Amino acid sequence: MTTSTGEAIQFWVLGIVAVLGALGTVGMRKAVHSALCLAGTMIVLAVFYLAQGAYFLGIVQIVVYTGAVMMLFLFVVMLVGITAADSLKETIRGQRAAAVLCGIGFGILLIAGIANASLHRFTGLAQANAGGNVEGLARLVFTTYVWAFEITGALLITAAVGAMVLTHRERTERPATQREQSEARVREGRNVTPLPAPGVFARHNAVDVPGLLPDGTPSELTVNQTLRARGQVRDVGGEQERRVRKLEQRSDEYVEGVTEGEGAPEGGRDRSGDNDGANHAEGAAK
Amino acid sequence: MSATAAAVHSLWTTRALADTAATPAIPTPHIEYAQLSPVLIVFGAAVLGVLIEAFAPRAARYAGQLAVSVVGLAAAFAALVALAADGYAQGRSHVAAMGAVAVDGPALFLQGTIVLIALVATFTFAERRLDPVAHGNRVDSFAAQGSAVPGGEQEQKAVRAGFTTTEVFPLLLFAVAGMMIFPAADDLLTLFVSLEVFSLPLYLLCALARRRRLMSQEASVKYFLLGAFSSAILLFGIALLYGYAGTVSYGGIADVVDGTAKLTPALANTTGNDALLLIGGAMVVMGLLFKVAAVPFHMWTPDVYQGAPTPVTGFMAAAVKVAAFGALLRLLYVVLPGMRWDWRPVMWGVAIVTMVVGAIIAVTQTDVKRLLAYSSIAHAGFLLTGVIAVSPSGVSSVLFYLVAYSFVTLGGFAVVTLVRDAGGEATHLSKWAGLGRRSPLLAAVFAVFLLSFAGIPLTAGFSGKFAVFKAAAQGGAVPLVVVGVISSAIAAFFYIRVIVMMFFQEPQPQGPTVAIPSPLTSTAIALGVAVTLVLGVAPQYFLDLAGKAGVFVR
Repeated sequence: MTTSTGEAIQFWVLGIVAVLGALGTVGMRKAVHSALCLAGTMIVLAVFYLAQGAYFLGIVQIVVYTGAVMMLFLFVVMLVGITAADSLKETIRGQRAAAVLCGIGFGILLIAGIANASLHRFTGLAQANAGGNVEGLARLVFTTYVWAFEITGALLITAAVGAMVLTHRERTERPATQREQSEARVREGRNVTPLPAPGVFARHNAVDVPGLLPDGTPSELTVNQTLRARGQVRDVGGEQERRVRKLEQRSDEYVEGVTEGEGAPEGGRDRSGDNDGANHAEGAAK
Repeated sequence: MSATAAAVHSLWTTRALADTAATPAIPTPHIEYAQLSPVLIVFGAAVLGVLIEAFAPRAARYAGQLAVSVVGLAAAFAALVALAADGYAQGRSHVAAMGAVAVDGPALFLQGTIVLIALVATFTFAERRLDPVAHGNRVDSFAAQGSAVPGGEQEQKAVRAGFTTTEVFPLLLFAVAGMMIFPAADDLLTLFVSLEVFSLPLYLLCALARRRRLMSQEASVKYFLLGAFSSAILLFGIALLYGYAGTVSYGGIADVVDGTAKLTPALANTTGNDALLLIGGAMVVMGLLFKVAAVPFHMWTPDVYQGAPTPVTGFMAAAVKVAAFGALLRLLYVVLPGMRWDWRPVMWGVAIVTMVVGAIIAVTQTDVKRLLAYSSIAHAGFLLTGVIAVSPSGVSSVLFYLVAYSFVTLGGFAVVTLVRDAGGEATHLSKWAGLGRRSPLLAAVFAVFLLSFAGIPLTAGFSGKFAVFKAAAQGGAVPLVVVGVISSAIAAFFYIRVIVMMFFQEPQPQGPTVAIPSPLTSTAIALGVAVTLVLGVAPQYFLDLAGKAGVFVR
């Protein structure tokens, strides 16, 4: 058999997408973008497998790799911090240029060599899929390659143990109960009430925006200390202070207007009434 | 009533009977459990170790793990001896587990070596007398808690609580099981899976040093990234070889390479020219050369050997080399002997570069662990000269060299763990000055190991080098032997320099102290010395043993 026109078109179009995705995986600055590029490449590969009659592999590639593994990977990236970017500073001068040069050289050598293998036809696909694709695979996995399949189990155990060893932190002491924590707070006399919430005047309710104290300075207590340690607190102190000052200025002007004009208080009362209504509606929606 | 029943029954239909005739039953695979028992025992012990980690209280884990590891490895060795006694090493050798694993002389010999290495390595892993007692707890070479940030608050808490990472024992056993399959693998898929099975635990073990944890983690990441890359290259090579031969079994590929396989249309198509075979073979060999740390695939070795916990370094340096050389021998002697006119010139080049670069760069090293790392690279070169011989004496000399080298290496790294100062092991060479005055016994033992590395007569190193060089010379590689002898001389220079430094220089006032080890490490070192002297003075029995074990099954 030879390759049909449709398959050839499919290959060359998707092949470009796959290579671009792979290059993006390596080249992107942010881990999230890299992961998404990798997911794209994997889906394209799955299409290749399906087009070549490896239905089981194609579906597994989508369900397990792209669907489960890559999405878990994305979760991890999100937990670690979506804004985290690697430093791309070269520690050895000229290393990157040399690596690119070597890579291109190796690639040319490989492509030239494999292209020289001159395989014009392919055979055996119908024979391999004769009893059904999944059945054929099962026959190989559970007879000829059963030993390799079994020792893969050792690999999985090692991976699980390794993940636990490298990431699991067992507590060294009993965690303080809520009662003990509250007693300690009262005993120390600091922050007896719950900690203040982040966010400013309902403009920003994100957890990485510090709440402002009455004098307009950001409060350290409002932002989770993990975010603070990572340096992921959005520095809006200056901007917020400016806005607060503007607001104060406006309210000053308004108050001055009230004492001067006549109609302004009416309008003001109406506006506040609208606001109340909107708040009620929002509360009902919640 | 009947109306409702009909309405309900219209919601389903009876299933069609499975058409058993259309899909023929899959025959049950035939697995020779008795012949695979050594590997299965080690796997079983490893799983038992994981269960101990999961269920046993923290205080009981260390003793339990040590007992399970030692008993498991001893039982595996007994099983290997029983198999060899049954004649599987010679007359009855065959391929087990549906063509996945060879049970033959080289496989049993190398598996036995790996199990013994692992047994000695278990002793060094379990050593708890070297570090000063921390908060009333004896500690080993491994991190209190691998997940704690180095130098962080959590790490201090874990140390205070007396945590230890006893998971290293099951990880070691998994690595050992993978290494036992690696040189015995008789198809390329098993080769790849076993490569991963033994690599993954090693990446983890590298990251678990108690002292200098950042360096240890860096070593682990480096090893993991480069190892993953080399695995990918090996896998690509496997795919190309499969494309060429239409099979992944060693015997099948060898038949196609020799031209004795039945010519099908598919084979006629792919074997039109050798491009796939040459590229595929080259890439598989590349993957193996990475594991044996041959130049130019050696870049990871010094950093990883230096960063990893020293017991792990000793285990890696010894056992990985044994396993990977076993696999390389089988690949080149069973799968690609028909291609030897193609791969021999390449291996010549690799062997020469490996010996020369390893020896020359070692001269400039100032750290004991890096020095031993470069020396292990040079030794990979010496071993390659034996591989190139393509003769029965080539196999037996490499087998013998591997035994001699691995026990000396284990002993050498065990000695490194004993020389300590306030920051842990004092690995900088300047600190070793005058050690012979302060601790003559330790310095003398290390000198014996160094002389063996250098290949001075009456040590194991000399017998090994003599065997591989003789095999290479008989195989027509005399220039290679000349290069080997010259680089041995260069290597001898820096080994002797360390000995001179230890014995003929004044000790520093702020120099390191020598820790008094428990019987565990003492056993490892004593075994190293014993093997060095026995293989050096009376090597004939072991040469004969290696000679008898030198025939591959196909």
